[in-house]
Amino acid sequence: MIKLLVTRISAFALTLVAASLILFVTITVLPGSAAKAALGIDATAQAIARFNSQHGLDRPLAVQYGEWLGRVLHGDFGTSFQNGVSVGPELLKRLPVTLELAILAFLLANVIAIPLGAYAALRHQKGGDRSVTFLATILGAVPNFWLATLLVLILTLTFRWLPPSGFTPLRVNPILNLKQMVMPTLSLGLVSSALLIRIMRAAMIEVLSSDYIRTAYAKGAGERLVLSRHAFRNAFIPYLNVAAVEFGFLFGSVVVIEDIFLLPGIGSFVLVGIINRDYPVLLGASLVITVFVLIVNLIVDLVAGLLDPRQVKGGRA
Amino acid sequence: MTDVSDARPHRAGETPTLAIRDLVVEFPKRHESVRVVDRISLDVWPCEIVGIIGESGSGKTVTALSALRMLPKRSRIFGSIALGGRPLLDLDDRSMRQLRGDRLAFIPQDAMRALNPTLRVGMQVGEPLTLHKHTPWRRALDKATDLLGSVGIREPQTRMRQYPHEFSGGMQQRAMIAMGLALEPELLIADEPTTALDVTVQAQVLRLLKAIRDDKNTAILFITHDLGVVAELCDWVYVMHRGRIVEDGSIRRIFTAPRDDYTRMLLAATPSLSHAANVPPSLAAEVHT
Amino acid sequence: MTAGLNWPRYRLVFLGGALVTLVLLAAIFANWVAPYSPLDLDVVQMLQGPSHDHWLGTDELGRDVLSRAIFAARVSMEVAFVAVSVGLVGGTLVGLVAAYFGGWADLVLMRAMEVLFSFPAILLAVVLMASLGTNVLNAMIAIGIVFIPGFSRLARASTQAVLRQSYVEAARTIGMSDARIIFREILPNIVSTLIVEAAVAFAYAVLLESALSFLGLGAQPPDPSWGNMLNTGRGFLAQAPWLSLVPGMAMFLCVLGFNLLGDGLRDIFDPHLRD
Repeated sequence: MIKLLVTRISAFALTLVAASLILFVTITVLPGSAAKAALGIDATAQAIARFNSQHGLDRPLAVQYGEWLGRVLHGDFGTSFQNGVSVGPELLKRLPVTLELAILAFLLANVIAIPLGAYAALRHQKGGDRSVTFLATILGAVPNFWLATLLVLILTLTFRWLPPSGFTPLRVNPILNLKQMVMPTLSLGLVSSALLIRIMRAAMIEVLSSDYIRTAYAKGAGERLVLSRHAFRNAFIPYLNVAAVEFGFLFGSVVVIEDIFLLPGIGSFVLVGIINRDYPVLLGASLVITVFVLIVNLIVDLVAGLLDPRQVKGGRA
Repeated sequence: MTDVSDARPHRAGETPTLAIRDLVVEFPKRHESVRVVDRISLDVWPCEIVGIIGESGSGKTVTALSALRMLPKRSRIFGSIALGGRPLLDLDDRSMRQLRGDRLAFIPQDAMRALNPTLRVGMQVGEPLTLHKHTPWRRALDKATDLLGSVGIREPQTRMRQYPHEFSGGMQQRAMIAMGLALEPELLIADEPTTALDVTVQAQVLRLLKAIRDDKNTAILFITHDLGVVAELCDWVYVMHRGRIVEDGSIRRIFTAPRDDYTRMLLAATPSLSHAANVPPSLAAEVHT
Repeated sequence: MTAGLNWPRYRLVFLGGALVTLVLLAAIFANWVAPYSPLDLDVVQMLQGPSHDHWLGTDELGRDVLSRAIFAARVSMEVAFVAVSVGLVGGTLVGLVAAYFGGWADLVLMRAMEVLFSFPAILLAVVLMASLGTNVLNAMIAIGIVFIPGFSRLARASTQAVLRQSYVEAARTIGMSDARIIFREILPNIVSTLIVEAAVAFAYAVLLESALSFLGLGAQPPDPSWGNMLNTGRGFLAQAPWLSLVPGMAMFLCVLGFNLLGDGLRDIFDPHLRD
């Protein structure tokens, strides 16, 4: 158990460092980035040189990266090129918005996918299975930002059931907050459920056809008990691993969805950084997204490991 | 033809533990249906070890599963199967479920796959008690420890807290047998339980099954493709070929004076038996009990 | 249970194939198929609903929406084609080398792929676009890079499977060179698996390109792409919903087509994966 924990956490740390390096290099070092972005395309060579030395961009890459990483570890994400505002506190302010959206959407996706996928597996190759598979195929082909647009068209403009886009903090007005979260959550969650339904179905079909399920029936267990005690847990192990990847996809999609619904989260901050060519903002926001995706992956990995005794004790497979 | 007595020990007034009559199993396939088991009849008497031998695809496993009524839902089944006089094919699902794991137990071919990889062995062995006798888990687990000990697993206290992948193949099969024995069933149906095992381990498991029959008077229906195993273990044997029973008889008779061509072919194809004086040493004592 | 034609399944593959063919034809023959030029302004006919002249209406500058959607298919297909090719070639190279040479090469390459894989796809594409600059060519590269880790994993796994076959061992013992073994013995045997995956990646590339264009990072106006059409249409959602419905529907049908085709091909080429 401890061995599992140590290996997973060290792999996590390693990946994190490598990922942050990639982000740093991509955003700051590639040609035509920071200086031109901040000063405009027709900036003079002197102005660019001045800007670079001002921000320490003329020093070796390794030094810049090391320094940046050191500051980030102390919570200092630098200041925005655009308006001189400190990026760290802004990220902290925006994080809850994104987390609320991601958690709600991920919950929705799983709440849809687990029962539907299991149901389809139980009705394998029958009508119920076909309907669920059809639904998953359709949902999987809908771009989430188009679904978002459709939802606005239907729920806000046509039927006026939901307030137009915007954001009210949960503390200020929980009801309004949740109402405003309905459409973003649906756009992300419904689309993400498509893949999860298929995975749950496939995992469950595989488990239900296994010998140990036959053993459970041979012992005289009823269907409900066989499912809850013997099937679900085992199907969950492969499911969780895919769910973690899907969470990454969902968490990345906040960049698009927050923009559509005017949610002041990390995702829309990424876009602010791009549009203003403000690389401390872009760097900070994308790093936060990546870190959260990695954390969720780590947690899922550990939970899947706990569910699967073969991994915990590392014995024969 | 050698003169060999071929009378099954007569049991006046006794009901067979398992009586299959004119069993037919068909699997529908697109337009026609395939008959996997074709009008077979067989008996297993109390305290008897009966073998069904045949090559793969001969319908032996399907026969076993029909006695448990665990065939795929789309299969069609005709004839009658009685367990201690209870007509199994007429029971509703609930009553059938109550018999499974209680009055008749199943020991599968591949114990490693038959054990749930994510649950502790002890819990899996004790589970039938909680299902049928409403035994509280703590007592069921105590009983599971005894059961594991009784099938020859050393340090059962430790072992029962382990997971299947920590067991060797032979121990996994012993655990499956322990699970089958939990409620002292009338009938154990064993489907090639030793095929996946090493020869030495195979011999141990066979000895264990025989001991179970001797100690607990459990009847055993033993399915195999291995004539050597049949010779080692069974009192009476049915030879199955393409869904039919081509002949049945005592071990001695089948081995010394096979009547069906297919049986002769099987015997000829088993080198150790064709030149080892036909009958293993242990058999001589066994046959007339 | 047994193999054989599974008609409901094959119907879906044909449906997918038909949708894909439709999109491809529209993309290739856009000049002939589209009733108008995608860039022709018509100030008199701004934001008109579907009519006899403009089957799917006009946009805020009076341009024909159907024509723009058809030309946008061309952008999508170009981007998807190049991006998938980049991912396919890059990923196959990495996966092949990792599996064939093993050891440190394997460890380092696959670790790097894992790091790339750990980024959310859209975020990686967006960040790459921000750094490369926003145009269609860069969208192709950015999306291609996003695909490399996925293809490399698949190529590595399939190569390892091939390496276990005896004919590769035989080729080695008769002294065939590494390059010859890779190109003559391994590549032909993993290519079908990779092509199937490419069909699914195509759908995903269309989605990513649309998302980038939607955010203003892909194809730049006035050139039409489904993503930027949808983004513009969003501003006129109440007055002219067809501006959002048409490009969205086009994306949906295109992605659906490639998904169905990919699933179907996977069933045909990898029967053991069928459930």
